[in-house]
Amino acid sequence: MSAEIWLGLLSGIAFGFVIQRIGATNADKMARAHLMMEGDIPRFMLTAVLLSSVGLLGLQAVGVGRTLIIPTSLVATSVAGILFGLGWGLCGYCPGTTWAAAGEGRMDAVFALVGGLAGAALFAQLHEFLIPLLHAPTNVGQITLSGWFGSKPLAVAVFVVVFGICIWAIGILWGRGEDV
Amino acid sequence: MQNNNTPSPYWKWLPAAFALAGIILFVFATYGPPASSSGFVSTLKGAIQTVAPDYVDAKAHYRMLPDTGSWLFAFVLGMAIGGFIAGRTFSIPVRDIPEIWEKRFGSSKVKRFAAAFAGGFIILFASRLAGGCTLGLFISGSTQLAVSGLYFGVLIFGFAMLTAHFVYSGIGKGGK
Repeated sequence: MSAEIWLGLLSGIAFGFVIQRIGATNADKMARAHLMMEGDIPRFMLTAVLLSSVGLLGLQAVGVGRTLIIPTSLVATSVAGILFGLGWGLCGYCPGTTWAAAGEGRMDAVFALVGGLAGAALFAQLHEFLIPLLHAPTNVGQITLSGWFGSKPLAVAVFVVVFGICIWAIGILWGRGEDV
Repeated sequence: MQNNNTPSPYWKWLPAAFALAGIILFVFATYGPPASSSGFVSTLKGAIQTVAPDYVDAKAHYRMLPDTGSWLFAFVLGMAIGGFIAGRTFSIPVRDIPEIWEKRFGSSKVKRFAAAFAGGFIILFASRLAGGCTLGLFISGSTQLAVSGLYFGVLIFGFAMLTAHFVYSGIGKGGK
């Protein structure tokens, strides 16, 4: 097996382990996060992104790693975001957590995973119809905050402040989960 | 579940966030932006091409992603293994029906499994339309300051909160 396969497997094992330990594979905890009863999972997610954005700036400064910006389509990204929210709120799993939760032995996650395979298969079947209809006409390209601010470090600084405020606000507005 | 004397076996959110950020940066350095909804497509491609190679060759969505012999598939498979290891070494046993769901809808497995299937179906259909999921679009995208990822993140959190509010009506904050 190539190095890429081993790296993917190793990264996945570490990722799956950590998201189980924070409770993201537990649909009960995810529902309580959505209901503003426990702030641990959203604070965990936003903090991980905040730290990663700073770290990625460092990686790029030394020329390591590969990035890929997914384009924004006004219609497709909006429709997809709304649909995704409905599905996530309904079942308490997102695509990545279904794998880890199924591995953990949760039977409902196995059904979510199989449902996900069916949903992806349906989209793949309809790709040639839906992408020109919903995605392509309002695709505004690979836009980033760095482009808007004209400077990557400045954009990261603004981003860190905004996310920092969100994380702080979640700690206030959501119920108390675990202490830090 | 547990009494007040035993500390929760779940990790605290801040150290866990440092751990996840370390993994995300490792993935950026050794592969590229992490993703998991693409792994569903790779799984399907690997399976379908064994019985219908012409169909896979003809469909753009399968042409744009690798099959099961890829980082993308290895990653989701790894997540299942990581979840398995984490579950085997955890003090709280798993349940097939989440507590909060059982409180609202009862202990019917058929009802819960049907909802899980429907939810999984919707989130993957939506992810493939947007070009990514919670990880591949929100987390990877926001880390790179992509507007698509940030905007998608606002929508998925907002609509998931709204949906959960209606699904679990009466169990929200303040109640128990």
